[in-house]
Amino acid sequence: MIWQQLIWFAAASILCWVTGAVLAFKVKSIKPAAVVSFIGSAIFLSYIVVMWVSLERPPMRTMGETRLWYSFFLSLAGLAVFVRWQYRWVLSFSTMMSVVFICINLFKPEIHSKSLMPALQSVWFVPHVIVYMFAYAMMGAVTLFALYLWFRRSKQPSAEELGVCDNLVRIGWAFLTLGMVMGALWAKQAWGDYWTWDPKETWAAATWLSYLLYLHLRPHIKDNNVTFALIIFSFLLLQMCWYGINFLPSAQGASVHVY
Amino acid sequence: MALKWGYRRAFMRCALIFVVGVVLQLVVGDLDNSFLRYPWGLILAVNYLYLIILANLYAQKWQWVRRLSDHYASASALASMVVMCIVFGFTRQDAATGGVVGALGFSRMTSSWPFNLLLLYFLTTLGFMAVQDIRHFRERSLVRILSHVAPFVAIAAMMFGSGDKLRVTIRTSLDRPVYTGVDRAGRSVELPFSVTLREFKMEEYPPKLYLLDTQTETSSKEFLSAERVGDNLAIGGWQIEVREIVDMAGRIPEEQNFRPMHHVGAAPAVYVAARNVASGEQREGWVSCGSFIFEPAYLFLDSRHAIAMPRREPKHYLSRVRVEEMSGEKTDYEIEVNSPARVGSWHIYQVGYDTQRGRWSTTSVLECVRDGWSPAVAVALWLTLLAGVVMFVTAGGHTWKGRRQNLSLQSSEQGKKSQKGKETKR
Repeated sequence: MIWQQLIWFAAASILCWVTGAVLAFKVKSIKPAAVVSFIGSAIFLSYIVVMWVSLERPPMRTMGETRLWYSFFLSLAGLAVFVRWQYRWVLSFSTMMSVVFICINLFKPEIHSKSLMPALQSVWFVPHVIVYMFAYAMMGAVTLFALYLWFRRSKQPSAEELGVCDNLVRIGWAFLTLGMVMGALWAKQAWGDYWTWDPKETWAAATWLSYLLYLHLRPHIKDNNVTFALIIFSFLLLQMCWYGINFLPSAQGASVHVY
Repeated sequence: MALKWGYRRAFMRCALIFVVGVVLQLVVGDLDNSFLRYPWGLILAVNYLYLIILANLYAQKWQWVRRLSDHYASASALASMVVMCIVFGFTRQDAATGGVVGALGFSRMTSSWPFNLLLLYFLTTLGFMAVQDIRHFRERSLVRILSHVAPFVAIAAMMFGSGDKLRVTIRTSLDRPVYTGVDRAGRSVELPFSVTLREFKMEEYPPKLYLLDTQTETSSKEFLSAERVGDNLAIGGWQIEVREIVDMAGRIPEEQNFRPMHHVGAAPAVYVAARNVASGEQREGWVSCGSFIFEPAYLFLDSRHAIAMPRREPKHYLSRVRVEEMSGEKTDYEIEVNSPARVGSWHIYQVGYDTQRGRWSTTSVLECVRDGWSPAVAVALWLTLLAGVVMFVTAGGHTWKGRRQNLSLQSSEQGKKSQKGKETKR
């Protein structure tokens, strides 16, 4: 089974990511850390590709499969932020989060079916999930950064650090928008409705609006506590949308987004 | 002393709208969107848009108009929608009318007054922003214009067009034309065309074999996908191997063996060999999910466990239909999930089939949808998609030093220009 080989690919990727995170602190130039981290992400992507070929369908149907994409995009998001803004801590953050999600897949193995129900066989399936996973990864990264800034005792968050939060939310929100709109266009093609207020859609709307509220309030907020609290609150809504509805009594049997 | 305009008053306005909604909900009951049926939906939409544009033109004169489009109004409207969506998400939508949740209409949120009034308020603040952005498009970024205008058009079209949408479910049987269907309220609706099912085709995934615990009536999470002879897997201490696969099989009542049978009602059958890993005990036999003709077959391993095959999952299914319009024009379509047929202003979707007969189904359930506002929503959604792309591309620019300087230079120049413009007008 392809899932049994995850540990080898994951070990190689994690080794690269950890090395990259260490190099980010030790070496002045960003190149060595960026290259090593990129190799780690490439190894992890190669596992996803192998899985895609082996399953004969995109590995995006089950929670375990979406966690793989999440780990991959987190590493990529960390790398992008590192290269663009040269924050040396960001690779440690993204590595830590990627490792957590890989560990969940390693320690809670799930049997994955090859079958893909007809509704999921659409050109929208792959971009819809990938775009959402990238958005989730960005929002995960900004949440961790916000927590770090909020509880850092040594100094107050600088305007530049808050600017990083804004940019990450802006990018994440752009991707949430893409994911949501792609989902709406797909839903029209599959069922004849753009939006049906399915529990998943309702929580996606709450998440999208909450981050949008952050973007609208940010230029006018002077209190950093409100800024950080809103980022974390929005991320909690995102958790409800991602997997929380699977445990929510109000959503049982009411959602077409079951996996 | 009057309370100064700010977040507090903006939020109080939302609270007031909510209270008005609750009162209307308690007095009038659910909001029925049938009043938005053509032409009233269109008339109301045009007037609503006209009022927003008109009010915008007098924004300098009227303070209350300005207070519908500033950041206090946007933030309070957004926050209200977040709260309503959270309540929506936590409330089971089951049309219940009992209890506080039912009385407030939260169990039927899309028809509840508080939700719809707050949505309308949110849409109005968004509309004001959108019109302002269009009026001052030279001073506004493309992202800002698109991300206000496109969602406004999409939500407004979905809202005002909701009364015009017609969904008619039809149950087609082979070679029998269908002229009428049933809408969501259970009313019979005559279609402007007839639909005749000419063929229903289904492709299924390979059979899956599970280990069944007959005492607890649960099946194993692991399964063996019987794709080819020789496939094997250890489940629950039994090494299970596929020895023979017959895609279309049948069993004569007196016989134990399945044999190939190319006939309606044929079921898949797999000959399986199982060996207990600990004791070496062996079992062999046929396993089948059965069909509407044949009984399912299990391979019993011991007093408690058996190998079972659930019904195969559908991979693809499609309906070949002939549609005859009022004009007498006949057109053949292939309809499957994610690939509806378009007949004039109608779309025909594949919804279901006779699950008892599975691949041998001779009926197909289709849904005919007429949604005149759909093109407007589609255009708005594609523009929203564009807004997302442009926002991503331009997002990082804010912290780039050079870009920031450029932006500040641009904005100061624009500020001067707009100031000049105002002075000239005066």
